[in-house]
Order: sequence, then structure tokens, then C-alpha cells
Amino acid sequence: MRNLSVVGEATEPGVYRVASMDAIVAEWEPHLRFMVLATDAASRTAVERWRAGGLQNVVHVQGDGLEEGDVVAYRPAQGKVIVLYRESDLHHTLFLTNRCNSYCLMCSQPPTSHDDSWLIGQALDVVRHVRRPPTVIGISGGEPLLVATGLRRILVAIEASWPEAAVEVLTNGRLLHDPTVVSQVFDEPPRNVRWLVPLYGHADLLHDFVVQSPGAFDETIEGLLTLQALRQPIQLRIVLVQPVIEVLEELCRFIGQNLPFVEYVALMACEPTGFALANRDLCELDLFDASTVLERASRILSRYRVPHLFMNAPLCALPRSLWPLARRSISDWKNTYADECAGCTVRSECSGLFAWHEKNWKPTSLKPVKEATQ
Amino acid sequence: MSEPIVHAPVLFYPKAKASHSDVEGAHPSSVQRAGSQPGLLPFDVRRLPDGTLVGISGSGDHTFFSQSELDVLQASPASIAPHRRAELAARFFIPNHGRNVGKDRLLRARQAARRETVTAGPSLHIIVPTLQCGHTCQYCQVSRAQSDDGFSMTHADLDAACQRIWESNADVLTVEFQGGDPLLRFDLIVRAVTTLNDFNRDSHKRLRFVVASTLHQLTDEMCAFFAVHNVYLSTSVDGPATLHDRNRPVPGRNSHARALEGIELARRSIGPDSVSALMTSTRASLDYPEEIVDEYVRLGFRDIFLRPLSIYGFAKRNLGRVGYSLEEFQAFYRRALDRIFWWNRQGVALREVYLSIILNKILSTFDAGYVDLQSPPGAGSSVLVYNYDGWVYPSDEARMLVETGDRSLRMGTVVEPLQELLSSSTRAMLVQSGRAAAVDCEDCAYHHYCAPNPVDSQAQFGRPDIRAHETEHCQRHLWLFDLAFTLIRNADDATEELLHAWAQPSGSKDRACAI
Repeated sequence: MRNLSVVGEATEPGVYRVASMDAIVAEWEPHLRFMVLATDAASRTAVERWRAGGLQNVVHVQGDGLEEGDVVAYRPAQGKVIVLYRESDLHHTLFLTNRCNSYCLMCSQPPTSHDDSWLIGQALDVVRHVRRPPTVIGISGGEPLLVATGLRRILVAIEASWPEAAVEVLTNGRLLHDPTVVSQVFDEPPRNVRWLVPLYGHADLLHDFVVQSPGAFDETIEGLLTLQALRQPIQLRIVLVQPVIEVLEELCRFIGQNLPFVEYVALMACEPTGFALANRDLCELDLFDASTVLERASRILSRYRVPHLFMNAPLCALPRSLWPLARRSISDWKNTYADECAGCTVRSECSGLFAWHEKNWKPTSLKPVKEATQ
Repeated sequence: MSEPIVHAPVLFYPKAKASHSDVEGAHPSSVQRAGSQPGLLPFDVRRLPDGTLVGISGSGDHTFFSQSELDVLQASPASIAPHRRAELAARFFIPNHGRNVGKDRLLRARQAARRETVTAGPSLHIIVPTLQCGHTCQYCQVSRAQSDDGFSMTHADLDAACQRIWESNADVLTVEFQGGDPLLRFDLIVRAVTTLNDFNRDSHKRLRFVVASTLHQLTDEMCAFFAVHNVYLSTSVDGPATLHDRNRPVPGRNSHARALEGIELARRSIGPDSVSALMTSTRASLDYPEEIVDEYVRLGFRDIFLRPLSIYGFAKRNLGRVGYSLEEFQAFYRRALDRIFWWNRQGVALREVYLSIILNKILSTFDAGYVDLQSPPGAGSSVLVYNYDGWVYPSDEARMLVETGDRSLRMGTVVEPLQELLSSSTRAMLVQSGRAAAVDCEDCAYHHYCAPNPVDSQAQFGRPDIRAHETEHCQRHLWLFDLAFTLIRNADDATEELLHAWAQPSGSKDRACAI
């Protein structure tokens, strides 16, 4: 997430919407908090005058990189804001917890164990402060089902505030084996929610190794069956690390044969950060070397008419036959391109790279495309 | 000429439904077999003609074994290499190492999906509006002369048949008009289609209509009605003109030419995919496998159903003249199938329906609904026939038996409520007969996919409970499953894709509609 230094008069930590001097009068609402972008002395004086007149929920702020409409968390001690929501981003996410019941060997955001229940309140605040609702909102963690009642509150709030938004909850689904959790989330089954569930093998000895948690495979299978019984749309996510590539064909066969109800399968290149660095020998690979496996996996899924996509994979990491299935999927704030990409003719359709490819590794040795395409 | 595919597949696992009490226990599913040791799930093993071993698990998944691997697996599953062990767990041959609650639930869902055809309620409803027909085929016993008007359904009986159809629990209903030639009583087709569409005004069921006809009587007016009401046509094409005309005599000896006129008219007026064709293989057909296949390609059909002659009625009486042995049929079938594969390699998509039914059982999660391989029997459970005279039968073959004097398979009359017909002693007898015949199936690996056909046994032996091994039905399907597994085992990449494409239930192309 973007972490920006700011100068301003705010003293209270918490969630604010960033507004321009021009827009603040039209946008102002009594139950929200605003940071007004005030670059000159006259603007700052104006804001201070409003405050003196009793308008307590408006403060002025200065800082590079802030945009009008940003929803930010203010950390007064550090003089920083964290951008929690930016209108111009392609991808929007709400984080509900940093805790997790799995310990995936390529986890990009290693879980923590301390109490972070305040994140639910923060996420609810973000929903209230957003000016232009997203078309798609991701809900992530950690594992959101660890805070099932909080998750339910967020889903209700989103449905009320953003009735048109599609919600994508990233969860390992394991806790759905527990009827209490199921009733906490699904007493009134949400509309507009899609469940993004990772699956890394077709047997416990494979999947449980990747997620470093005994019993996880079987609990996830139960969770998936519960979701299908509730007629909830499911996207399966497969991160292409070495132990997964080794069994990918049989995994896809298992999905086609046993989980044909999933809406689609996302095959994703590994994000080279977090635990993936510690487990580099298992996570680093040149995706292009696995082309044959990827093509066969795609053929097997097609055979069962299971739609599928490739994510986080630059086009030059995939054989051309799979290009139509590649999607630009890397969150804006961590998305970048390499110097070699400058002259590439398919750059605009390419997912690009994770920002940390420089100090860690790239998903393939980059092969900029030179010829005209299409 | 019965439509093989009953209903479009579910893409979700079915919700558990209470089954009829007489159906309970009809499925020999929990027999402990080859895998009965700790560390193994129940599975069966079959030795194919080339010596290969194929294992079939409780989910219907399969895997090929060498004898030595099978020995190791049965002695000590834990000593199998990890990746192979994972594969065997994924295919339900061995349990997972730890927790198995989710996998057990998955296995039950898979088994329920396989049985959907017989648990969903009757989904194929055959109406015989008339026995009148313009043909005098030597293997057909049911049809009557075109001038003979005493063999048609009354309006009251037709309306009652529509009521019975509407009483079915199935969400997807296929209504097929058989004859005779139903187009000779187009008025009755219009009446039934209109009545059922009125019942379905809120469209909560998927209704599909099929008219099985020679198409000799097809007119523009009929096509206009069929186009509007989603009615498909199924006709007979036995092969090239000489063969077809020999099999299907009409005054003027031009049956083939007139069928082609009908096909062209339908494609022009209703749509390019409005007509499918079925063939009957007589003794005369056996010398022309390539010519028959080529004729289907020439006529632009995408499906061909290489069926052996059923031994009912006139066919049974004239068996010496029109019949043949299973071995003769097998030789014919192999040559025709090779020709079909050859066409597919040339880029011409042509699917053999019989092998597709078998491959669907082996390679797909969702049953395509073929009624003759169900346990309990599909006849009388997933299919019902409303005959021209108001009697109800469990299958098209059963009503044909009546014309040879065997009335034993009558379920009741069309004015009885569907529930009464389904709890008739005839249906109970069929279920019981299927169970009795299946004693032989307990040792057969293919019992996961296959089951006896009591109606067939009634026709062949005069009783429905003949043990499976004595029936031609069993011999034929053992051969077909062996053939399918041999093809799968030896398939190159292109053939593998073709076999899988054939295995998908034909309705699942329109995925969105099926949900």
C-alpha cells in the first residue's frame, strides 16, 4: 500500500477522505472526515477559519502523491498517511485482518498473530468515506473468515452503500467446514459476492505442504462444497510455484472432474516477496520453461469447460497460444515494467511485473516482443 | 427410434433427494472389492483384452495399473511414490492421509450426480400419437398403414398424457413424439405442444420437443410451427440410397430421396441444426460401414448412432433375414468407427453416439441420461411412454412388445396420476428384476457405469430377470467398455481430446442455460 508523508493540522488518527478546495463545499457531509489539499497559505487559512467556525471534521493537508478522492488512514505520530482507496486504481482492496490459519510457503503478506480487530472498523470507515464506489471491491486478509462477523458487517455495509459493486472475497475457505462460521456469514446469503479460493493440489499431501497446515485441503474441499450448495460463485486460484507446477495437470483434471461448478480458475505467477523469498528454491521458476505444462493444463480445463485465466504473468512468460487467457491483474501500487519492456509492442496488454522483481526475481527472462501484433 | 440423450446435465451437484422406497438398495454401490484393505477405498479392477488392468473407483474415476503396481498398492499403499499416491487419492482409490470429511462429502456428491438420471423424476416422455406410417419396414412391427385410422390417440388421452408429463418432478423435460409417423397426425403434435407450453407459461421448467419422423410428410406449415415452439426433428437415415431404400420400403421406392427432401426443408425453414438422424443396422448394412459413415458426412450430420438392431417384434421374427451376431456387429462397428476417426482427423466433426454414451460414463462427472444403462432401470423411472391406445409403458421397446402379444410391461393407463404409475407393480417388478439380474454384476468392474436392461431381457427371453451374463446386453456393453478403455489407453493427444469432447453431455454446450 502507498505510504505517504504529509504535513497538516490533523491531530486525530483515523480515516479521512482527501478533497480539493474546489470540491469540499459540495462534498462535505457531517458524519465523514475530510483532508483538504491546501497547497497555498490562503487555502490553509480558509480551512482554519471553517474550523474556528465549528466545522470540526475538516483539516488541511499537504503532501506529494495525494489525490483528490483518496481515502487515507492518518498516522499522526509518523506524519504519514496510508492510501486505503484510490479512485483511479484498477484494483481496490479492503484488509480485514493480518491473521491467518494457513502459512503458505509463498505468502506475499506473512500473517501476524496480534489482535487487529480494529481493521474491521477501519474497513467500515473506508466504505463510508469512498466518494465514487468501485465496480469491483476485493476483501482480503490474512484470512477474512477468522473475523466472520466482521466480514458479514462489511458485506452488509457494501451492499447498502455500493449496491452495484461486485465483491471478491479472498479466502482459503477452510473455516466453512464449521457450521457456526457458515451461519455467521450466510444467514442471509449475500448477493454480488464471489469467493476467491486457493487450491494447490488434488490431495492433502500436496496442498497441505504448500499451505503448511495439516487438514487444510480437506477443509477447503468442504468449504467449496458448502459454497456451491449456497449457489455462491467461486474462483479457484492456483499460484504457480514449483510444487504446484509438478502436479498441475492432475490438479486441473481433479478440478474438472470434481469441482466443475467453479466459475473460473485463475492460474497465477508467484509474487516474489514475503515468505516466497525464504522459500526461493520452491517458488522461483522461469514460467516460460513450464509452457508445455501450462498448455496442457489449459487444455484439460477446456475439456471440462472450466473457464480459466492467467494472472500476474507477463505475456513473454507465456506461449502465444495462451495470450488470449492472460489478464492484467497486478494491483496498481505494486505494478511496474522493466527497462527491457520499453520497446515491447504488447506492453499495453501485458500484466507487467511486481515492483519487487528488481531486488528479487522475475517470472521469466524478459523477451520484449518486437513485431507488430494482431 | 428412441432418443438416447434424456436431459441436459446439471453443472451443480444435485441436492440430496429422498428416493422412492422401492428404489432403495437397488444400487450395488458399497460392495467391498479389490480395495478392501485398510488404507484403500473400494475399487474394482478389469483386465482389458490386451492385458492392461484398469481400476475403477467409487466415484467412477479410473486409472490404469500394471500388475506389479496393483500388487504393491494392495499390500502397502504407503509405499507407492508420493505423486502417484496423490493421484490415487484424487481419484478416490485411497483416502487422504489425514482428514477425509470433505472428500467423503465430495464422493457422495459425485455418486449422486451419476444417479441423477434415475433420481430426478421422469424426464423423457414419449407420446405415440398414431401407429400410422407410410413405410412397411421388415424389422418394424408396430406401424399400421397410412389409411388405417383406428390407431391414433384420442384428444382426451392426449390431454391426460400432458397432465402426467407435467406431474413429473424433473426440471428438464424432453417430450418425444414417436409412431408410426407422428407427422401423419400433426394436429395431435400441435395440441400437445401447445398444452404443455401453456402449463409452462412461467418457464420454470426447460421443455424440449422432438418429433421422430420419416419427414416424408413435412410441410412448410409444420416447419413454421416447429421453429416457433422449439421442436427438433429426428429422422432415419440408414446409409446410401440403395441401402436405405432396401431397409425402408415405400411405394415408389424413393424413401431415401424423400427423407433428404424433408431434411433440406427442415434445415432451410427451421435451422441448420434442427434435424438429427438415427440409423438401423440390418444384415444388409454390415457390408457398408464406410459408405454409411460417408453418407452422414455428405448430408452434414454431426452425430451418427451406430446401433445394433433391437430384437423386438418383426425384427425378432425375421431375425434370420435381417439379424446378425454380436461378432458380426462388432466387426461392422469397428470399421465404421475407424472411418469416423478418419473423418475427424480430416477436420470433419462427426460424433458416434453409442461410444459417446460409454465415454460419458467413464470420463464425465455428469450422466448424459442414457436410459438403458441405469440402476435402477431407466425404463419406467426416467422414461415413460404414452401409447396411442391410452396405455402407459416404461419404454419405447416395452410398447413394441405389446404388438407381439406380450402385455406384461403395462404400467397402467394414461388417466392414472403419475405417482400411481410410478408406484405400479410393473415398475416395482422392473426394479426388482434389475436387482436380481445384477447379481452377476457384483463381480464386474463396469457396474459403476452399467446395469442390466430388464425390458431387453423380457423381449429376448420372455422374462425380465434373466441374469446379466446370459444377455446380449451384457456381452455388448462389456465389449464397448473394453473398447472405450482401450481407446483411452492408447490415445494420442488429438484422439484424447476427441474422446473427452464426445464424453461431455451434449446439452452442456449452452452452459448458461443449463444452470
